[in-house]
Amino acid sequence: MSTNPMHQFEVYRVGPEIKLAGIDLSFTNSSLFMLFSAAAICAVLFLGTKEKKLIPDKFQLIAEIFYNFIAKMISDTAGSKAKPYFPFIFSLFMFVLFCNMLGMLPYSFTVTSHIIVTLIMAIFIFVAVTIIGFLKHGFGYLKLFVPSGVPLILLPLITVIEIISYLSRPVSLSVRLFANMMAGHTMLKVFGGFVISLGMLGGWLPLGFSVALTGLEILVAFLQAYVFAILTCIYLNDALNLHH
Amino acid sequence: MADQEDFKTRLKIAKKKFKNNSIITNNNENSSFIGGAFKLGTELVSAVLVGTIIGFILDTWFDTKPWLIILFFFLGSVAGILNVIKVAKKMQQKD
Repeated sequence: MSTNPMHQFEVYRVGPEIKLAGIDLSFTNSSLFMLFSAAAICAVLFLGTKEKKLIPDKFQLIAEIFYNFIAKMISDTAGSKAKPYFPFIFSLFMFVLFCNMLGMLPYSFTVTSHIIVTLIMAIFIFVAVTIIGFLKHGFGYLKLFVPSGVPLILLPLITVIEIISYLSRPVSLSVRLFANMMAGHTMLKVFGGFVISLGMLGGWLPLGFSVALTGLEILVAFLQAYVFAILTCIYLNDALNLHH
Repeated sequence: MADQEDFKTRLKIAKKKFKNNSIITNNNENSSFIGGAFKLGTELVSAVLVGTIIGFILDTWFDTKPWLIILFFFLGSVAGILNVIKVAKKMQQKD
């Protein structure tokens, strides 16, 4: 084991090297943990919905809680028009949540601690929401960039600022998740390293911190998945119900 | 059959209790509040980043280094502050 706190974020090849047209498509530990989380989600939801009991058992309860949580979140933030997008937001939330939570296990790899993963998800959401907006409102969707009640002289400036603000959505969405996960895991490793280097005499204090930080990280893992999903709902709300 | 009727009335009573229980809704608000706090910081920074990147790209296009990057840096900062104001307004609406 390396004592370098950034060592845990290293992506390495698992299995044979696959190259297609000069692009490295090898199976990595990142892909492995994505598969793990997808398998875990399928397992939990399959076990939860296998027997539809009137009085739910543990797995069914978990599945129902997740379902209710997301359904309530969508209806609260984006209204009834967003109902058709429930499957997408549910899968997104579950994937981010399980990737974050699997990352909390020792010796595991946190998929969401890499900006490329979160950025691809955010760009996909951004493009999808933009397409939905144009499909629903046609060119009227461009009114989003022209706020009402602005003097004509200021209009070009405000429009440019609004466009930058709109383009910053995928960046803020992805950077938030990535930065929180990476900072948290680095901090955990650093405090873990302090325990070893201070030994039996002084190691107890960072050990206590480590335990507390683990609790905090589990909270952050859940919260970031929640924020990721709720922001998707808010962006969807902007596209479905144009306010300006 | 009688068993099921009994269960239905019990379910009704439980649902009523659940509605009156304000602790659950309170809890929910609390968690979205922490979520909002996490949101504000990145909202400001990302707009500045995007503005600067746009300025950089336009600069290489039009060969006007370094003027557009300076202009768009400030436009990005304004957009960032605008973002934060928008999010803060949304947070206040909830209360």
